[in-house]
Amino acid sequence: MPENDMPIANPLVVLREEFDDWAVLFDPDTGNAFGLNPTGVFVWKCLDGNRTVEDILNTLQANCEDVPKEAEQHLNDFILNLSEQGLVGYEIRKD
Amino acid sequence: MKVIRTPRSVDLAITSRCNLRCAYCSHFGSAGDVDQDLATEEWLRFFEELSDCAVMQVILEGGEPICRQDLRQLIHGIVRNRMRFTILSNGTLITDEMAAFVAETGRCDGVQVSIDGSMPATHDACRGNGNFERTMDGIMSLSKHGVSVSVRVTIHRRNVKDLEGVARLLLEEVGLHSFSTNAASFMGLCRQHSEQVQLTMEERALAMKTLLRLRKKYNGRISATAGPLAEGKIWMEMEEARREGRPNIPGRGYLTGCGGPLNTLAVRADGVMVPCQQMSHIELGRINRDDLREVWQNHAELRRIRERRDIALSDFEFCQGCDYIPYCTGNCPALAYTLLGEENHPSPDACLRRFLEEGGRLPEEELLAC
Ligand SMILES: C[S@@+](CC[C@H](N)C(=O)[O-])C[C@H]1O[C@@H](n2cnc3c(N)ncnc32)[C@H](O)[C@@H]1O
Ligand code: SF4
Ligand code: SF4
Repeated sequence: MPENDMPIANPLVVLREEFDDWAVLFDPDTGNAFGLNPTGVFVWKCLDGNRTVEDILNTLQANCEDVPKEAEQHLNDFILNLSEQGLVGYEIRKD
Repeated sequence: MKVIRTPRSVDLAITSRCNLRCAYCSHFGSAGDVDQDLATEEWLRFFEELSDCAVMQVILEGGEPICRQDLRQLIHGIVRNRMRFTILSNGTLITDEMAAFVAETGRCDGVQVSIDGSMPATHDACRGNGNFERTMDGIMSLSKHGVSVSVRVTIHRRNVKDLEGVARLLLEEVGLHSFSTNAASFMGLCRQHSEQVQLTMEERALAMKTLLRLRKKYNGRISATAGPLAEGKIWMEMEEARREGRPNIPGRGYLTGCGGPLNTLAVRADGVMVPCQQMSHIELGRINRDDLREVWQNHAELRRIRERRDIALSDFEFCQGCDYIPYCTGNCPALAYTLLGEENHPSPDACLRRFLEEGGRLPEEELLAC
């Protein structure tokens, strides 16, 4: 994944926050639904096309306590997984 | 009680009208049988609120939803607002063009069509002459365009002996993956025609046995959440638990028969929000005037219906001395209301003790496995 890739949430996908900060991502075109834990919800909300994965990691570390050192790997895997499901795309930074 | 922030799905009676008058119809003669349908713009505005609430699925029913001239516009509204939909229809008005349109949206989870018999005599007995052929044509159009079709069979006195034929028609000749069943229950017009349409105790036992046998024969391809097949399964399970002296069945012993209001909200054709189309007398507010989230999370009547899950069956005079209390759910609240005028009460309609006291017999246990 190139360093300046900025993941962006597919605008068609619905984030359904249910209870205790857990949520479901719903893709109306396929009918598929994916469960998200509270960290997943936090990350999803950062997928605005203006931040790199590194920026998101920094935001996560700044906002959450006890972020484990494997977080970067988890974050990359999570975003890769979302992109494989068509829930996330990439915008290349122009500058 | 913990409740999700917004409903996962909504059940919308987009029209109160219908081209048929089935003898057992639960809609006509109920509180949902209203004079005026909402205008297109009202529904379209409401779909925006549903999207804002992240509702995933819309069930379009009625009356007969295909009666709405603006159905395509409404479906476009659902698609635009990132939702999927299902249609409940009598099938008679589904043309090739309508089926093609539904397929092209790519958002339809399926159309549930009502078929009550394997031939005109049994289907049309309650649904009116000529409707078997029309409905079958509707199913063929949907199938031709690749729309997922599910069939609901409503069992009554005139088709109870045709269940074998229905299974053969739907599962072998039409080639459906499965179908579901219910029995005409004491709601709407059925209350006026109860003697002619509702199963007697013997017919109920016959339907139960036949459906369990057919379900086994067709490897589970027949399902039910209410009516004789559902009762057969749950009653045999209750009887087994009693015989084995089990302390309880988890989740039973309380009024847990219905989880609908924890996931779904319904709207009548006049825009009044209700807990379920079958409990359309409980008015919760009006769409586009009252906030959906607020109604869903805080309406006292909705809370009252949800909290029935905390009411023990042992609290009811009706259940005193019954050996099945720790294994029973108290059944459908809507039927408890139409029969007794109270939702938070066990429904006598699906009461195992009463069935046995009236001479009903449960089918042999081998029929349960499939
Ligand atoms: C109320 S109808 C609405 C959709 C459409 N008009 C139809 O007939 O399929 C939905 C389903 O409820 C069933 N139904 C109607 N009245 C009923 C009753 N009194 N008891 C059980 N099911 C009933 C119908 O047979 C149909 O399968
Ligand atoms: S059951 Fe359906 S088709 Fe029959 S009268 Fe009622 S709404 Fe119409
Ligand atoms: S009396 Fe009927 S409803 Fe009550 S617990 Fe017994 S079987 Fe269930």
